[in-house]
Order: sequence, then C-alpha cells, then structure tokens
Amino acid sequence: MAGQTDHSLSIFSAAEVEFIAEDEMIEIVPNIRMDALNLLCGDFGPFLPQIPCTVPLWLAVALKKRGKCSIRTPDWMSVEKLTQVLEAERESPREFQPLPFHYVEISRLLLDHAHDDIPEVYMVRSLIEDIRNVRFHKVESGLETISGRTHAVKLKNLSAMEVNVVRPFMARVLQAFYKHDSPEMVQQADTSASKRPQVVDRGPRVSLSCVTC
Amino acid sequence: KKKKKRREQKSFPSQIASLPSPNPRHHPTVGLGASTCAMPGYYDISDILMEDEAVSVAFHVGANGVGLLDPGTETNSVEKGAKIDLPFWLAHELCRRRAVSITIPSCFGQKMKKDVQADAACVDLGTRYPYFYEFGCKLFPLVGDKSIGPFLRHTFANRYKEMLSKSHTASLNAIPKFVLRLSKEEHQLFEAARSSMVEFKKWRVRDLGLMKTTIVGHKRKTDLH
Repeated sequence: MAGQTDHSLSIFSAAEVEFIAEDEMIEIVPNIRMDALNLLCGDFGPFLPQIPCTVPLWLAVALKKRGKCSIRTPDWMSVEKLTQVLEAERESPREFQPLPFHYVEISRLLLDHAHDDIPEVYMVRSLIEDIRNVRFHKVESGLETISGRTHAVKLKNLSAMEVNVVRPFMARVLQAFYKHDSPEMVQQADTSASKRPQVVDRGPRVSLSCVTC
Repeated sequence: KKKKKRREQKSFPSQIASLPSPNPRHHPTVGLGASTCAMPGYYDISDILMEDEAVSVAFHVGANGVGLLDPGTETNSVEKGAKIDLPFWLAHELCRRRAVSITIPSCFGQKMKKDVQADAACVDLGTRYPYFYEFGCKLFPLVGDKSIGPFLRHTFANRYKEMLSKSHTASLNAIPKFVLRLSKEEHQLFEAARSSMVEFKKWRVRDLGLMKTTIVGHKRKTDLH
C-alpha cells in the first residue's frame, strides 16, 4: 500500500506507520505458561504466569486479544507525566516536548485493546488528544513563517505519525516556494539596478523540528 | 482588421513547418532562464494544457502560408506587425526565433496587480487562470517585464497563509468555497494536506465503533494563538 494512491503525495499510509510502530518493546504480565518463542526478530523467553517480560507490541496485542496476558502501561502514559507534557507544550510556542517517537500509534493500540489495563483511561485518552492538537497547531503556525529562502525545515521531537501527516504538504510547499522565489527569478528583477553578483541569502533558519522527505 | 478575442481551439496544419523548426513542443533546457522553474517535463498533462493558453503576439516578420492564424487576412499570409492570438507553445517557439514579441496577457496586468494588493486570497484564480503560476514562470523570461517574478511570489505567499490552516482542517465531503478559487498548483497542495489529514482521522477511529463519539466530538480550543 505504500505510495499506492499517488507516489508523490505520501510515502507511508497511516496503517503502515502503525505497522512499523508495532515493533516497539513493551512490558507484559502473562497469565499462562508458555515456552520460549524463537522468532526471526528475537527470542522471547519462556512465559511464566505473573512474571513480567518484554515483548514487541504486536506480540503483546496478539496475546492480549487472546486473553493470555495483561499489558503494563509504559511510564510516559501515566496521567501525571502526560499532564506535565501538556503543560510544557502549551507554554513553549516553538518547541516540541520529547515524547516517544511512536506515541500516537502506541497509545492508540493500547487504548483500543488494553483499556482495562490502563488506570484512568478516559483521562489518558483526552490528554493525548489534547497534546496531539497542541503540537499540530504548533506545526501549522510554524509553517506560516516559511518564505522562499527556507532551504530546510527542522522539526525536533515530532512523532512518526505527525511527520507522516505533514510530509506531503510541506514537501510541496517548499518546492513551490523554491520555484517562485528562486534567486534567478528575483535576481532578474534586479539586474537593471546593479551588475554585482549577489550572494544568495540563506535566510533565517526556520526551526520547527526534524524533516524527512 | 478584426481582432478576435475569444480563444479558438484550432489544429494548426503542418504548413507551419514552413518556419524552420524542430518539434514545436520541444523544451530546451539551456539558453533560457526558465530552466530554473522546474520544467515539469514533456509528458506532463497539466504542462501541456497550460501551454494551450492564448497570448497576444506581434509579428516581427511576415510569414507565408499561415494565413490560418490571422482571421482578418485576405491573402494566405501574415504580415509584419500583425497582432494575433496564438497558443503559448507556438508563441514560445516563435519568440525564441525572434519572429514575434509577446505582449503580457491581462492576467499579469495592472488590474490583476491591484486585485492582488487589495486581497490576495480572494482573487479567483481557479476559474479564470488555473495555470497562473506555471504560466507566469514560463512567460517570465520571454517578456521584457521583470516584475512578474516577484509579483507571482508575492501572490503565492499571501494566498498560502490563508490556505494553510484551512486545508488541514477541511473534511472530505464539505468543500470550502475558497477551494474553487485556487489555481491548479495550489489545489494540489490543498489536496495533499487534506487527504493525508483525512486518512489519519480514518485510521484513528477505525476499530473504535462505540467509542467514536468520545474522540471525534471532543473539540478543545488551544490557547496558543
């Protein structure tokens, strides 16, 4: 499904980003006894009841669906931590708070399948929604400052899903601005004034966060 | 002499080959400053459609056998100094050979500049000049007027700001009115943003079923602005 709709629009669909996110490790507490699983991606030790162990997220969700374990919420998904992050996001208008790279996908999977394992699940859900909205508005307001002189956009601490949503638009916008504001076009308007070679002004560095194209 | 203002879709006969030229759709990549404006390529449909726009040109030389181009002529030829509307692909080639000189079409004229200065976002590029930017980029090196480049950029920058916030929040079905005012290029930008946002939202509520209302109906204004 990668790039099926239009290869220039987006490289990953949302489901693909989720698929990649499912490789993250998470802690579970099994309630059955099972032998070790020897998989290509690693060996996951013998499962003993009530002994916590670390497995990839996809395995955790699969076990959970069959009722064979309970998932332990990661630390960053507690209400206190999330509230802290939300406050910090609201206070700094240009920076993004460090969050796990796949926090959107992980939180969605956990909230869907393991909502009985998460304390105060509604609070957590609404907090994550708010964080996402605030961050997205920051991205938008940062985008307003792009001019033709912007060569690259740096977005720090942005998560995988957010990058994926914004990527096609941002790539196109940068291209369009480059086309219109290219030094040749602007310089041609000035050649009548002076004949000196003009150094291309590298413009202000727009620092939003990381860019992947 | 009659001057026809309406654009006619004519198929130009091969008599035009009496002018020395290779394939009239050949894009040279050297020799013109236009190479900096990302030439979309020979096969790009929107590029082809864009070049079909008519521009008014004044002939420097007489041309025989192409009286078809000038509706007001009696003999089968075009005289020197005649003013004719040609499609842009033809005018472009003839201009390279210094056979004609192109006059700036109305979409870059004074009236347009005043409109843009009044309010760039309300100018209706979608219906009147869908290929506004591309056309301007191609036209720019051929015509003497150097202010087109900055003018295009200025227009784009202003409209872009308007478009930015609206494009991400637009939903799949409701098409905001301003979309009709976008040129083709801006429309692509808008579609890119909207489709990726819509896809993300679909993914989010995918398995939720009953839980949908808790998330989707949950709107909180951020206090960032």
